[in-house]
Amino acid sequence: MDQLCGESPQVGKLITSREHLQPDVVVRDVADRFFKSSELDALALVEGRNPLGLVTRPKFFFTVFRRYGFELYGRKPIITIADTAPLLMHEDERLDVAIDKALERPPQDVYDDIVVVNESGSYAGLLSVKQMVIQQSTVLANNIIQKEMVQAKAKEIERMSELRSRFIAHVTHELRSPVNAIIGLAELIQVSSRKGYMEQMKDRLALLMSSATNLRAIVTNILDLSKIEAGKMEVITEQFNVVTLLNEAAETTRVLVGNKPVNVEVIAHEDPLFMVSDPVKIRQILTNLLSNAAKFTEKGKILISLGLEGSRVRIVVSDTGIGIRENEMDKLFVAFSQLEDTMTKRHEGTGLGLTITKNLLTILGGKITVASNFGEGTSFTVFFPLNHMTKEDSSDGRQERQKDGTDH
Amino acid sequence: MEGKRDKKMVLIIDDDVKHLLTAKGLLENMGYEVRIHHFAFGATNAVRETKPDLVLLDMNMPGLSGERLSKLLLSNGKTKDIPIVFYSSNDEDNLRKAVVEYGVKGYIAKGDIFELRKKVASYLESPIG
Repeated sequence: MDQLCGESPQVGKLITSREHLQPDVVVRDVADRFFKSSELDALALVEGRNPLGLVTRPKFFFTVFRRYGFELYGRKPIITIADTAPLLMHEDERLDVAIDKALERPPQDVYDDIVVVNESGSYAGLLSVKQMVIQQSTVLANNIIQKEMVQAKAKEIERMSELRSRFIAHVTHELRSPVNAIIGLAELIQVSSRKGYMEQMKDRLALLMSSATNLRAIVTNILDLSKIEAGKMEVITEQFNVVTLLNEAAETTRVLVGNKPVNVEVIAHEDPLFMVSDPVKIRQILTNLLSNAAKFTEKGKILISLGLEGSRVRIVVSDTGIGIRENEMDKLFVAFSQLEDTMTKRHEGTGLGLTITKNLLTILGGKITVASNFGEGTSFTVFFPLNHMTKEDSSDGRQERQKDGTDH
Repeated sequence: MEGKRDKKMVLIIDDDVKHLLTAKGLLENMGYEVRIHHFAFGATNAVRETKPDLVLLDMNMPGLSGERLSKLLLSNGKTKDIPIVFYSSNDEDNLRKAVVEYGVKGYIAKGDIFELRKKVASYLESPIG
């Protein structure tokens, strides 16, 4: 917990050893202990509960072998060659403070273990400096990671709120613009009708209709997106011939293309290809892609090709339109990011089509990829499962539902 | 150079024909002379040539935004004294901010016919420009 909170733990919790000896144990016995257990780094000398000194392995052997000799002094009590003023530390001491204190010692003592005492001054255990440093570096690393996580989170929140307010600004503009036109035109039609200008009225009514149609498209898109975001978009599957659907979509696209020299062609087998999915949503996806193609292609062709890859249906919509710049590719599926500057308006459209398309595809278990050469054309490839399995379709519907909410 | 016009003239710059025609109709009914310019491109020339008493400038236009266009107009010696008003469907908070940022005379939110009439009248009657 301490580490998770990013605070320095207390040294009492990091005690590495509780080994201790009476101060009158003879040097030879201490040597035996060090020889027998190679992991023993240090021993505290404790009388009753009072810590009196410290013996560390390196210093002990150094002293015994160099200055006294084992045989001669082996029988002396250990206290005579022990460090009788080791660094003492209260068990509540914070790790970072403990490390500072340990490292303040003279170089030859820096790695000596620290004797930890409790409130009443009784011996509590030994603290290995090596372990403390490792511990501290973990704490520091955790702190850095936490800091980075918090910063990343803050950035993400900031970005989301930025996107959100941009979204609202765009929705405001997109909704108001046609409403404003409708109000103004209605007023003008009133004037025309008062004056009896039939031709002028007809013209203005046509503009009013087109504004109203545009408004309906925007409202539908915004509602769709809200539905998707709220997870309320329902999938209603049925079996249908995807070739028929493509031919119908092509017909609609020809209307959209109008008088522009653009050929709209479907490349598919003549045989029907039946798939089980939500045809309304697939039509919506295709309409979105095709209306983009129609909008951005001035001449050349728009191809809709159908293929089957294993159990996946592949539909490619390619055009010879203006294309998309490399650096604009990743903005493509973000709501209202309609290329160019956000404030310099774009082509007619809601700027939501591709966002909705991508979301609908996800709902249908499909995916979309895009390839484009700027100035030459764009091609969107969508994949759908040939059979979109729903919970209701699976043989054991109840179990499926319990497991998870996914359908494939 | 030319004599005084008998009618005040408003130039509307917008990328949306519907808005151009609607505003034109509404303002003409008030007795003003109205010129329209579709898109931002060539708008500087249009302003220079028509010398309007007021420019209604849409903000969101492809290629060159109304904001940037206002900068160009206000930094050009021949057009800098012609009053510009943003005429946009954007949120009013944004409009207010943009007015301050770009130093134009004001803004008119699209859609409120009453406001359009009132504000245009007040900009044209005021001594500025």
